[in-house]
Amino acid sequence: MALAIESTRFGHVEIDPDTVIEFPDGLIGLGGSRFALLTSDPDSPFLWLHCIDDPSLSLPVTDPHRFFSNYQVELNDEDAERLGLDDATPVDVYVTIVASAELSEFTANQKAPILIWGGQGHQIINQAADTHLRAPLFAEVMGAGADADGNAS
Amino acid sequence: MLNITRRRGERVVLGDDVFISVLEVSGQTVRLGIDAPRSVRVYREEIWLEVKRENEAAAHATGSALPADLPAPLKGADSEATRSNVVKPQQ
Repeated sequence: MALAIESTRFGHVEIDPDTVIEFPDGLIGLGGSRFALLTSDPDSPFLWLHCIDDPSLSLPVTDPHRFFSNYQVELNDEDAERLGLDDATPVDVYVTIVASAELSEFTANQKAPILIWGGQGHQIINQAADTHLRAPLFAEVMGAGADADGNAS
Repeated sequence: MLNITRRRGERVVLGDDVFISVLEVSGQTVRLGIDAPRSVRVYREEIWLEVKRENEAAAHATGSALPADLPAPLKGADSEATRSNVVKPQQ
C-alpha cells in the first residue's frame, strides 16, 4: 500500500513504502526521520529528498559524481564505526543543492554528503581534502566552453 | 546556561554516559576529550552550524521544478541503486 503525503511542494504524492529511507539521526540541524527520493523527471540529474513526516521539508539533491569528477567521501573513524561502514559497502552518495535563478549560482554542499544504503540514510561530515560547502555545481560541466549566459556550448 | 568551573584532568558528565574531560588548557585554547556512546554525534559547533544553514538554504528552494535545460552532467556516473518515486511537478 502506498504512503500518501500532502507535500507543500508537490501536492498529493504517493510513496512506494519500499523506497522509504530511514534517517536515524535526521539531517544535520534539520531533523526528519523518514525520507523518500522524488523526481518529476527521471532524466534529470536532480532528485528531491522529501521528508515523509514533515510535508514541508524537501531538499534537492544530486549524485556529486555527475558534476565533480574527482569527488571523494572520507569518513572519520568515529563515523565509520558508528555507521558500520567500510570500503566494501556499496553506498549511494548524494549532495544537497542550493538552487538559484542563475545556473552559475547553483551550489552543492560537498562537505556534508548524504550516504544511503540498505534503506538507511546518514548525513556525514566529509573529511576528504578540497571539499567545499558551496561548490559551484556547474563549474566543471560547463567548463571553458560556457558562454557569458552560462549556457554550455 | 549552566556554568561549571573545571581544572585540567577533571570531567563533566552529561546524563549517564557522556563524559567530557578537560585534557589541556593553554592560553586561549582548551583541549577537550569526549567519551560518549557511538550513537551520539559530536560536531565542532561552527561545522554543525554551516551544514545546518546549507540544509536550510537547500530546503528553501521555491517551487517544485528545477531547470530542465542543463549542461550535460559528466558521463560515467555510478548507476543509482536507490529507487525514487516519480511525481508530477506542481504548477
